[in-house]
Amino acid sequence: MKKKYFSTFQLIVLTLFSALIVAAKIALRLPIQLPGHSGLFWMAIMIVATRVVPKKGAASFVGIVSGIMATFMGLGDFGSLNTLISYSAIGIGVDLALLLLGNPENLVVATLVGIIGHFAKFLVKWAFGAISGAPLGFVALGLARSIISYLVFGALGGLLGGLTLLALKKAGFFAYLAEKK
Amino acid sequence: MSQKKRIILAVGLIIVLVAVVLGLESLRAKIIAKDRDVSLNPGDIPVYKDGELLAAVNSEDLADLQMVQFTDAEQGKVQEGWLILNIMEKYFETRHFSDSLQFVFSSSSRNKSIALSWEEIAEPENMVMFDLSGRGTLKLVSKLEKLDVRDEWVQDVDRIEIIEP
Repeated sequence: MKKKYFSTFQLIVLTLFSALIVAAKIALRLPIQLPGHSGLFWMAIMIVATRVVPKKGAASFVGIVSGIMATFMGLGDFGSLNTLISYSAIGIGVDLALLLLGNPENLVVATLVGIIGHFAKFLVKWAFGAISGAPLGFVALGLARSIISYLVFGALGGLLGGLTLLALKKAGFFAYLAEKK
Repeated sequence: MSQKKRIILAVGLIIVLVAVVLGLESLRAKIIAKDRDVSLNPGDIPVYKDGELLAAVNSEDLADLQMVQFTDAEQGKVQEGWLILNIMEKYFETRHFSDSLQFVFSSSSRNKSIALSWEEIAEPENMVMFDLSGRGTLKLVSKLEKLDVRDEWVQDVDRIEIIEP
């Protein structure tokens, strides 16, 4: 019998991470009027997910499943297709970044993975805006401000994820997880 | 490839992507500027009455206006920006406006629009205002029942039309 790429246990864990992203998006409201500030917890959860299930495609799975959940819950300002694709883009961005950079337990790697993954979401939102003929930024350098904000919160989220991984490793979580598989 | 080289490559990739986005947006600004009224700058929101351009709302003019905020009832998010009342006072002698004067706020990219009377706009409690969206465009939000949830907001507003009833 052909062995499945993800075990049932891994699929359940990844789906729980997807649900956690959507729940955090709804429940955690930071009093910050800056675009992309949700990247702080979003990228942290993504980074942790990719280490808990250390397989290629794990982040994409989390991105797509969280995108489907968010779409059905009506999240996002720009319609369901935009929500689905932007959530998925984060996962795909994280997977591609990990292919290039490797282990997210390295804090520099985790930070860069956070930046790339979060910037993938920005790219989707920007591309949708440009394709649909959205007006240009009202505020001078509005787009640059938005880009910087996405990069900074992506970096902070990635760093937070990396630190969480180190804490989990120190606590022996991954050794415990290996026994459970 | 060593880890150091991979990290340098990733940083380079991020820089290239940011440069491409900014470059394409700059190109889009030039294309839009060609298509628009010569008295409008890219990003300005024109105010028309009977096809005549009366004003162009721009960020420089709003810089000295007081920003206001409220928390929307639907999602509990803070909406922050400028009251339309204050914006109109900046450009027009609003004491001449009748309560029934209609203002149509529209977004060509969203294919959405809403008509509000001056009476509705002039009541500060209604909080009819432009919120600055994440990508720097303006979103019309309010506490008015017909404009108090996301589906009713007009995102990416790019035109205001004043209509005498």
